[in-house]
Amino acid sequence: MLKKLGIAVCASAMLTAGAIPAQAADKVADELEIFSWWAGDEGPALEALIDIHGKKFPKVDVVNATVTGGSGVNAKAVLKTRMLGGNPPDSFQVHAGQELIGTWVKADRMEDLTPLFEQEGWMDVFPEGLVKLIGTDDGIWSVPVNIHRSNVMWYVPDNLNKWGVRPPQNWEEFIEIAPKLKAQGVVPLALAQNWTANHLWESVALASLGAEKWDKLWTGELPFNSPEAVAAWDLFGKVLDYTNTDASSLSWQQATDMVVDGRAAFNVMGDWAAGYMSTTKKLKPGTGFGWVASPGTNGQFMFLADSFGLPKKSPNRDQAIEWLKILGSKDGSDAFNPLKGSISARTDSDLSKYNDYAKSASKDFSHDRIVGSLAHGVTANEGFMNDFATVMEMYLKTRNSDAAGKAMVSIAMKNKIGQ
Amino acid sequence: MAKVELKSVVKRFGDVRVVHGIDLEIADNEFIVLVGPSGCGKSTILRMVAGLESISDGEIYIGDRCVNEVDPKSRNVAMVFQNYALYPHMTVHDNMGFSLDMAKRPQKEINEKVRKAASMLELEPYLDRKPEALSGGQRQRVAMGRAIVRQPDVFLFDEPLSNLDAQLRTQMRMELKKLHMKFSTTTIYVTHDQIEAMTLADRIVILKDGLIQQVGTPVEVYEKPANVFVAQFIGNPPMNILEGTVARDQGRLGVRTKRSFFPLQEDRKNLWEGQKVLFGLRPDAIKIGDSLNRIPPEWRCTAQVELTEILGGQSLLDLVVDDEISLIAEVEGRVQMQAGSSVEVGFCFDRVVLFDPETEEALSSVAQLEGTAEGTTPERDIAHKKEIEVHTN
Amino acid sequence: MREVSRDRIKAFLTLLPSIVLIGIFVYGFIGNTIWISLTDWGGVGALAEDPQISYIGFQNYVDLFTGFLEGRFRQDLVNAVYYSVLLLAGAVGLGMFIAILLDRKPMGEDFLRTIFLYPMSLSFIVSGTIWRWLLAPQGGVNILPTYAGMEPLSFQWLASKESVLLFNWQNLLGIILYIAAFILIIVGLLGLKRDPNRAMKRWILPGVIIGAIVWLFGDLLPQAMIMEEMHGLNLATLGIILATVWQYSGYTMALYLAGFNGISQDLRHAAMLDGASEWDYYRRIAIPMLKPITISAVIILSHISLKMFDLIFAMTGPDNAETGHPALNMYLTTFRANDFAKGAAIAIVLFMVAAMFIIPYLISSYRQQKGE
Repeated sequence: MLKKLGIAVCASAMLTAGAIPAQAADKVADELEIFSWWAGDEGPALEALIDIHGKKFPKVDVVNATVTGGSGVNAKAVLKTRMLGGNPPDSFQVHAGQELIGTWVKADRMEDLTPLFEQEGWMDVFPEGLVKLIGTDDGIWSVPVNIHRSNVMWYVPDNLNKWGVRPPQNWEEFIEIAPKLKAQGVVPLALAQNWTANHLWESVALASLGAEKWDKLWTGELPFNSPEAVAAWDLFGKVLDYTNTDASSLSWQQATDMVVDGRAAFNVMGDWAAGYMSTTKKLKPGTGFGWVASPGTNGQFMFLADSFGLPKKSPNRDQAIEWLKILGSKDGSDAFNPLKGSISARTDSDLSKYNDYAKSASKDFSHDRIVGSLAHGVTANEGFMNDFATVMEMYLKTRNSDAAGKAMVSIAMKNKIGQ
Repeated sequence: MAKVELKSVVKRFGDVRVVHGIDLEIADNEFIVLVGPSGCGKSTILRMVAGLESISDGEIYIGDRCVNEVDPKSRNVAMVFQNYALYPHMTVHDNMGFSLDMAKRPQKEINEKVRKAASMLELEPYLDRKPEALSGGQRQRVAMGRAIVRQPDVFLFDEPLSNLDAQLRTQMRMELKKLHMKFSTTTIYVTHDQIEAMTLADRIVILKDGLIQQVGTPVEVYEKPANVFVAQFIGNPPMNILEGTVARDQGRLGVRTKRSFFPLQEDRKNLWEGQKVLFGLRPDAIKIGDSLNRIPPEWRCTAQVELTEILGGQSLLDLVVDDEISLIAEVEGRVQMQAGSSVEVGFCFDRVVLFDPETEEALSSVAQLEGTAEGTTPERDIAHKKEIEVHTN
Repeated sequence: MREVSRDRIKAFLTLLPSIVLIGIFVYGFIGNTIWISLTDWGGVGALAEDPQISYIGFQNYVDLFTGFLEGRFRQDLVNAVYYSVLLLAGAVGLGMFIAILLDRKPMGEDFLRTIFLYPMSLSFIVSGTIWRWLLAPQGGVNILPTYAGMEPLSFQWLASKESVLLFNWQNLLGIILYIAAFILIIVGLLGLKRDPNRAMKRWILPGVIIGAIVWLFGDLLPQAMIMEEMHGLNLATLGIILATVWQYSGYTMALYLAGFNGISQDLRHAAMLDGASEWDYYRRIAIPMLKPITISAVIILSHISLKMFDLIFAMTGPDNAETGHPALNMYLTTFRANDFAKGAAIAIVLFMVAAMFIIPYLISSYRQQKGE
């Protein structure tokens, strides 16, 4: 018994041994190991990229090391044990921004990709705001393969007509129409489990603060307990009053279903919801389901991106660089994104290959003000994100904005945000 | 205190009948022993009386009450199991007091009764021990104590001594007898050991294949077995049985085998010359040496000794008469004889039992016990004999 | 003598490989985890090839139990206690009940036994997913009453924000002392029948004294935290407990059924003749006789409840503080927040809680062996 417990307790240490897939000890020259959490629905998109690589380098054996599990929680754990064990993959998937920088760049585990960006001419085709957010003063650390938008509000146009409301332009408008919806037995805003509350919070906070101040939160110029930041919590609290009470037992798809089924009017979710509604629910973008920027964030594009980086001591560095070149290329990007349901980070992508939603998102991406997402790892490191989940739980229970502001200050200090 | 009555009791397990309509009346205070080889149905009968097995047909009465539909716990019977069935997690005290506890008697009364039973069984020092810390004999005592404490109408014993070694078995047997004399409670005792049956029982019930073969006092079943099965099952070594024909030799009635002639008492009835019979004679009805004095000369002959076995106080002789008939004799004293040597033997022909070779039933008129030299004290004789046998087992 | 020592050497050599392996991979790693928990390994740069690690003593533990930001861990710990207690009560109680029913040999006993045992063979992820559907607010269990023509239930199985049996973490010390007093008095009352004098002196009296002192002077006890922090039994955990009980009562049923079958029929008969009803038989004879089985069921279930992870992950996700568990927290703290030292500290706290269950068991079984 004791033995078993012992094993359980030091599971963390043991993971290193358990998680490493079989690997050739001495490197046959041509091999490339790609580490990601893309399986299932996202698998074909990754395969498309691997195909392009395969055509270019038929002799290279690509090892597609995926670790499944919701938004990469498990993959990240495995990756960390591999890196700690001195066994990095050639290239790995990571959320672009502070999630990469805070964990891997600060630990001096990544190679600077600035020369690659310059050589491939990517400085001109990726939006400037994006390049700034995925890099630091010392360099650029990953190649974004896709862009998702976080601040989108979804609805079903026919239902809104039936209930006699229009998509709100800001949260004040929402709070005005919400009682009307409630009176008709409709949940004004569908919410799902904890992380979707974080997701909603960043959209509300962006609306409350505006893009400038949102950015300043993360550079440390605006304290988290400043009146403006606390006001964002207050607004969030008001919005929460119009959400469903069973949120924490729902997955994000179930919250989207509420909108589709007419049980709820709106849902704030990332634009992967478009893929879900058009592919799984067979709804036509524009008529079957509609979208606007979440209230008060018109003209702002809160993005998150999946990217691949190049770890130091990558066993097959040359091949890894070839892989990154494909990811950043127009061909690669336009092969991957239509399948993944996201848009390209490049401003020159071939829009004819994309669906209606993606076309509209692409248009916004090229001229909107771009800000980073907190819930998906762009603006803050993993330590902060983890603690933020705790603050959110605290807030959901107590609804105390001041306390939340104070807690944010201490978790920012602890995780060295804006320093 | 109650009489027990079984009326045409039948037990079936599915299609298999194991008890075929038993009729038996057990008097109040009687100690009755059910004996028979394994599979004869004796335990099943006991368990039907206890209520642990349902009764397929017939009726069982305890006292004046038909108990066919009565729960075991309401029959007021106590049972001692072969493996004692003590509750292993309870102390001796709690084991013995459990039934009183279940009857919701006050703790004080329980303590008192348990203590009294314990002192009678010399269990007082062990009252706080668990059964696992006791020897086999002590466990046996606890099992009995548990039964005594309840003061039941009927005691049921299911081979209670068979897990003990021979010496302890003898001792416990005596204690059981004494306890019965003290409590005079109706007792039904099941065993496959005929010595226990002989020593303990007021009456013995011999069973075979679910049928009663004979019911009688120990002396009756020993001296007047109802059939060949009883004759051979009761008594050790078993009765000598010879095949022969009823004949007259020089005017005397007797049984003729190929070469020999065994005379019978003249008052035998229902016999005719030429009738085939089985001729039964107990080994202890064959005498040698000093005991010969009591036997008329015409009942004597010469036999060859094949083998002698000394049991202690008695000896067993394998004898051959007229180069033809093998007999086992059990004689007093230590007899040491060379194999092949000759010895004069006498037969107590008054104790001969004749059986019908077809039915193996005893022929109705049997030899009289009166008038024989040994006849007056068979009971003590038997008890004594068996005792010694146990010690030499 | 010489042969004995040679046997010993042989025995030692045979055992050596396991001793070495367990020494390194179990105790070595436990030791390593303890060491890590006493450092500040974590935060930015934690994953550097040669991270800066320094010894900080018990700071991580102090943080966990009194730190402003670690309220979630404390609720997790409280949850873990309730998970353990309710899982034990539920799975042992229900398992025993089903075992008693099956012990009476009803029709199709074999078939029923398989059915009841089946949930055991499912992985937590599978049963977690099934139960998440069953406990959905508008489906599954909640609409059962409608089949009987009644109103559907509206209980938020997994999403309820309510909690009951609230207590203030500030008064932790007082609460621990109350629990100690309570246990002392209970032990004393149980022993009262056997040895009243000893029970009074050794158990009841100290229990009453401690309880009285805390009651009278509780305000003087140092507080565990600077601010009030309420914890309690979160009703959202009931759904998870329900699923765990469902999964494990078949297992305890199998344990008890095997135990019941191992009891000689004669004992049941003896009890019946002694006037015991069926209920008396189980209560007074069969269940007390299966005490070793109950103890091992309690040990196994309590450590399962301490390692509950996948079921919660599947049912309410990793970030649901209402239904959180220290094991889940450990994983997230370590591998998501990169706070390796604090993760290790949580692991050690869990380890200590497990030891609290197991060490008394080991001691008692060791004593029993010695006694024989």
